[in-house]
Parts: sequence; C-alpha cells; structure tokens
Amino acid sequence: MAGSDVKPKSISRAKKWSEEIENLYRFQQAGYRDEIEYKQVKQVSMVDRWPETGYVKKLQRRDNTFYYYNKQRECDDKEVHNVKIYAY
Amino acid sequence: MVAEKETLSLNKCPAKLPTRTKLLAQQPLPVHQPHSLVSEGFTVKAMMKNSVVRGPPSAGAFKERPTKPTAFRKFYERGDFPIALEHDSKGNKIAWKVEIEKLDYHHYLPLFFDGLCEMTFPYEFFARQGIHDMLEHGGNKILPVIPQLIIPIKNALNLRNRQVICVTLKVLQHLVVSAEMVGEALVPYYRQLLPILNIFKNKNVNSGDGIDYSQQKRENIGDLIQETLEAFERYGGEDAFINIKRRIASLSSSERKQESELNLRLYGQ
Repeated sequence: MAGSDVKPKSISRAKKWSEEIENLYRFQQAGYRDEIEYKQVKQVSMVDRWPETGYVKKLQRRDNTFYYYNKQRECDDKEVHNVKIYAY
Repeated sequence: MVAEKETLSLNKCPAKLPTRTKLLAQQPLPVHQPHSLVSEGFTVKAMMKNSVVRGPPSAGAFKERPTKPTAFRKFYERGDFPIALEHDSKGNKIAWKVEIEKLDYHHYLPLFFDGLCEMTFPYEFFARQGIHDMLEHGGNKILPVIPQLIIPIKNALNLRNRQVICVTLKVLQHLVVSAEMVGEALVPYYRQLLPILNIFKNKNVNSGDGIDYSQQKRENIGDLIQETLEAFERYGGEDAFINIKRRIASLSSSERKQESELNLRLYGQ
C-alpha cells in the first residue's frame, strides 16, 4: 500500500475544453477525481492511453469493471462545465 | 371536372326526378361497350380481345422480413456476456467485466454481430456498442474472425429493415478501418454482401430544395451505401473496385474520379 492518500485542497469547474479536461472527464466518468486518485486506488503506475492522441483509453472502475474510451474526443462542450478540476 | 349530360327537366324542377333524359342534337348515340374481363397474364383468357391483363404482383424487394430469435439474445439472457449497462450523462455506456484484450474474439465477435438483427432495447444497444468496442481494441485479433462474420452481416442486411441496415453499414465502415488487411479480406465476400445494397442504393428521397434531416443524422440509406462502398474501395486493395462494379453496375469509382479531377486541374486535360 502506498503512503497516505493526498487530498485536494480546492476544487473548481472547467470552463473551456482542453486535452487535460478531456482526460479529467474520462477519469470522472469512471468514478475517480483525477489521475492521482486513480493511481492511488488501483495501485498502478501507468494509465492506458491512446498512442495517437494521448487520451485515456481504458480505466478500471471501483467495481472492477472496465471502461473503454474512444480515440477521439468524447467530452462535448456542454459537458465541460461538469468537469471538476482539483488543486492540491 | 366531369362533363355531365344536359337534362332539361332536372335543371328546371330539381324536386322532380327525371323520367327520361333528352339528348341534344350533336351528341353521339351511346354505344354499347362490352364488359372488360380482368385476367391474369400468360393465360388463354388473357388473349381474348376484351380482356384486361392484371399487372404482376409486387415482388416485395423492399418488404421487411420478420426477425428470428438470435443467438445473441439467448446468450445475453443467460448472462454469458461480460458486459453491464451503465447510465451516464450522455445516455448509456457499456462497462466490460473482463478486459477486451483478453476476450476470445472467435467466440464473442460473431455473437455480437449476430445481435445486429435486434431492433429492441437493450439488445440492439449492446450489440452495437459491443461491436464498436471490440473493433476499436481488437487489433490483429479481428482479421482471423472475418469469415465467421459474413453470415451474421448478411442476415442483418436481408431483414430489409431501415434501422438495421443503417447500423450494419456503419459497422461495416468501422470494420474495414479497424485493422490492417481487413478491407482486402472482405473482397471475396462481396458477392454475398453487395447484392442487397444494390436494391437500396437508389433509395434517396427527392425532397426538392427541402432539408433532409436524415442525411445530417447519417440515416439516409442511399448516402450510407455510397459511403460504405467508397470505404470498401479505399481499403480493399486493387481488386476491390472491379469486384464491387461486378455487383453494383451503376457505381463509378470515387478514387478514379478524384484522380481525373486532379489531372484536369493540373494539366487542363
């Protein structure tokens, strides 16, 4: 087990789409805050990504089922404001 | 407007029923018309002078065929598929209980393709989404399974259901780009897949200058067929065009058209 879990200090909402927001959207779809929490919970060092675009490809949820994501953008503009950005 | 015979008594006294119609001088005498017989074609009765041959019955090329229960439905209800339905903000999503890379494609992919015949929720959603995910992540596992996919695809197209055909065509477009050599591997099976597309190829709505929303939503069958055939030609290798042309005579090559347009622009020939 890794050291103590790092908790975020503040939270804000995304305003505009970017590649980082796209990846955050994918993590939050799977039930995690962001990549940091995913790595803490699942004890993995690397996350599966699409080599062409760098977006997250596959995530394992807390119930151990797998979510697969598309190579292209999945987060619509109308979903962007639902994406939470955590600051540590 | 129907021309009516003049009846003097009717105009002057509408309450009175006319006993006899008076004919005007120029009107021809009514000729006794023989009754026309309606008969079927290629019979002796049809050869008579006063017989009218009834046209041939409709062949039913566009008539939808009924669906049969599929193996996909049976396996899904038994819980054999490693998938679960999740609801997210965009609608529905599929969660896999097992990693797709570890799945036996020879067993599962033909089963999912069998589900293309389904038209009801959740079967059609699972089939469509499952195929999409498996093709995205299959890599070189897809190519050896191609021969087993032909019969399910043919069955789906043969239903002649608009919705099923649209989904199947989009799946075919995804299939040819999913992995290397898949387009070329499909060429020998064109004779089984393309004839049904020939029937629907010209099913484009002539709405004049109106807006065809089905085109925007990618549900216009004529356009989808054209796109699919272009994808076949692009990814099918050298023999693809001639094989397609054998089945669909009215097709013109999109690649050669582009090439000749380019030549025209560059060299003015």
